[in-house]
Order: sequence, then C-alpha cells, then structure tokens
Amino acid sequence: MALFVKFWGTRGSIPTPGPATSRYGGNTACVEIRVDDSLFICDGGTGLRELGLDLMKRARGRPIVGHLLFSHPHWDHIQGFPFFSPIYQPANTFHIYGFARGDQRIFRLLSGQMRSDYFPVDFSELSATIHHAELPTGQGPIDGVYVRAMPQLHPGGSWAFSFEAQGKKVVYATDHELDLHLDDREKSMRDPAAPRVLPGSLVDFVAGADLLIADGQYTDEEYKTKVGWGHPRATTVVDLAVAAGVKQLAITHHDPMQTDVDVEKKIAACRVRAAARAPEMVVFAAREGVELKLA
Amino acid sequence: MGSSFDNWDRTIPGSLPMHDLQRLARAAALEQIRGPGAPQRHLLLEDTVVVGRSEGQIRIASGELSRSHMRMERQGPEWVCTDLDSSNGIYLNGVRIHSAVLREGDMLQLGDVILVFHAGG
Repeated sequence: MALFVKFWGTRGSIPTPGPATSRYGGNTACVEIRVDDSLFICDGGTGLRELGLDLMKRARGRPIVGHLLFSHPHWDHIQGFPFFSPIYQPANTFHIYGFARGDQRIFRLLSGQMRSDYFPVDFSELSATIHHAELPTGQGPIDGVYVRAMPQLHPGGSWAFSFEAQGKKVVYATDHELDLHLDDREKSMRDPAAPRVLPGSLVDFVAGADLLIADGQYTDEEYKTKVGWGHPRATTVVDLAVAAGVKQLAITHHDPMQTDVDVEKKIAACRVRAAARAPEMVVFAAREGVELKLA
Repeated sequence: MGSSFDNWDRTIPGSLPMHDLQRLARAAALEQIRGPGAPQRHLLLEDTVVVGRSEGQIRIASGELSRSHMRMERQGPEWVCTDLDSSNGIYLNGVRIHSAVLREGDMLQLGDVILVFHAGG
C-alpha cells in the first residue's frame, strides 16, 4: 500500500500569485490523496486546475475516477472546479460527496456556479460522468479507504475529513475556527503561551494521525481582530495536534496577506510551541507542489 | 612548458561560443555544502538528472546515499525533485518529502549530504 498526499493549493480566501508568495504558493485550497489507485481530492480551490492538468498527463488516456470531498462551498474551495480539465473528458468519472442523507448542497452549488451568468460553460455540458454520492452517516468505506467527516465551526459550516487505510491516517481539517471551542478563549488571548484545551471529540477525530493538514490561517497577533471570521490561530492547531498525538502537522490555508517570510515566522512560532510538549512532532507549512509519502 | 599551458588558449573568453557560456552561467545547480566532496557545485545541464552514490549524472561517494537516490527533472521553468525509493529519503528544509517543486535556496538533505538548490537564470 502506498499513500501519497500532495498539496496543490495552500492559500486561503483568495489566490495570491506573485513573487512574495512563490515559495508556499498562491493557489487556494486543494489537496490530493492517493491510496494505491484510489484518488481523493479535498477541496477544489484554484489549485484544482493544475491538479487536473497533472492527472490528465499521468492518466495517458486512461479513464480517471476520483472522489471529490469539499469542506464547504466558499469560493476559495470551489472556484477551481470549472477549470478542472478531467471533467470535460467523457471517459472520466467523479463522485461528489454529501455527508448526510439527502445532502446535495455542494453538488447544487458546484453546478450553480457553472451557469451562464457566472461562467460560459454550463454544468450540463460537462462530458465526464459526475455523480452525487453520500456518506449518509458521515462515515464509511470509499474505494478501500475508511472516510469520516466531522462538522466544524465556520460561517455556514464546514467539514473535516479523515482517511484511514492499512494503518495510516490522514486528516484534512481546513476552515475550522478552533479558538471558538476554547472555554477560556479570552484568557488564552491574554496569555497565549498557556496550553489551550480543546474538546475531546476534536482530539478523538484527529487522534494518532500520521498527517494532520489543518487551517492555521492566523498568527496570535492577527487573530485579535479576526475573532468570528472562521479561522484559528495556528498555535491553537499545534495544541490540538499535540493533544491528539499527531506525527506530522501541516499548517495550511495561509492568510492572503502573509508573504512567504510571514508564513515562515508563523511556522517558527508553531515549532517553538510544539517543541516544548511534543518534540518528535514535525511541524511545517503546507507548500504547493510538495508531495509526501506515508509509507 | 608543463601541461598547464597546453590548453591555455581555452581560457580566452572569445574562443568559446557565447551560447555555451550563457548556458553554463544560467544553469540551475545543486550546491553541495556538506558530505563527501563538499563544497562543490553540480550544474543541472540536462532535463533529467539522477543523483546517487554510484549511478546517475551526479555521483556523491557517500555511504548514506542510495545508488540512485534522487531524480531532478525540469518541468517547464521549474525543477522537481523526486525520491527514488532511497533508504534515507529526501528532507526538504527539514521535512521528509517524496517529491517537490523546488525554489531558490531550498535545502535538500540526502543522508549526510546537504545540497542547496539554485534556480539559475
């Protein structure tokens, strides 16, 4: 079994191309997870465009089958879908998931953004076979991988996903304002060095992950004016990862105002925080174009 | 005189084709800063370059490198490194990776060898 994770978009809110963001990338949220021949795509931000081109190149004419899981339908997580070239090829098949019985919200919104008012190609013109699929209880096997979905705190709601296969676990948890779960949030903002205690249900969902890919949009300083905006302090994510015994933590959904230098400073602060309590945990900034193998 | 003067005329810039000079000057490179043979600069003059202990275009005599350890591949204007199932892996700026699009100044650790990627012109 080979499990690969590749980052195609690590930016939040809006794409931010340019020299100041070239190292970590300016494409919005998109992560590819491959377990042997099974393909999962988490979110369809602008990074989905380049993933699509790469899939077509790798496929060499063979049909592509993929499972698309969208954390939520905010623009930065769906805007790449119309530019995902495999959806224009008739041999390909994609499954777009809802996580409750009858939940077709994502499917409707994806198709809705491809209407003539917004986009010159209508959803009905797509050549690939595109199914609405469901995990009606929020969890279940998909193509040999056990997938769970967990609701998160974000304006309009969002989902985290965990993927387990043959003893390996990857969690994708973006757009979750973890800090709103803190009983003592105000105190933790006055004393950011103090450990932050997160609900057991969140820790359990992430427990033992070989890789946690999590939204860490804000620094401690930035968050002071962003409470309620739907994204956490990166340092709060560290505390969740430590409590859950995560082996590797990839901080993603970098704020559009953060340059590469700013991202590195944010991660440095996270590493200092992690080193005190979980020195073995690897903490890094998710970076476009990086692929990990969880052997 | 001794052999050091045998090819002296090759040191005259005008005797070398300009496009060869420019190609060398602008080539991407892996600057080896640690490990056997360091310091030295390995130019990436082909679109695909394998780095290894005993195979490939860049050979570094380290027991901590696999025979074929890493592939460097030009994709358009960018360079991508890929682990060739090596024993000790590739660490990009301290994080173990399978493959990555490289940026100027990225540090790659292959066993006891440390390479700094330079994108060239």
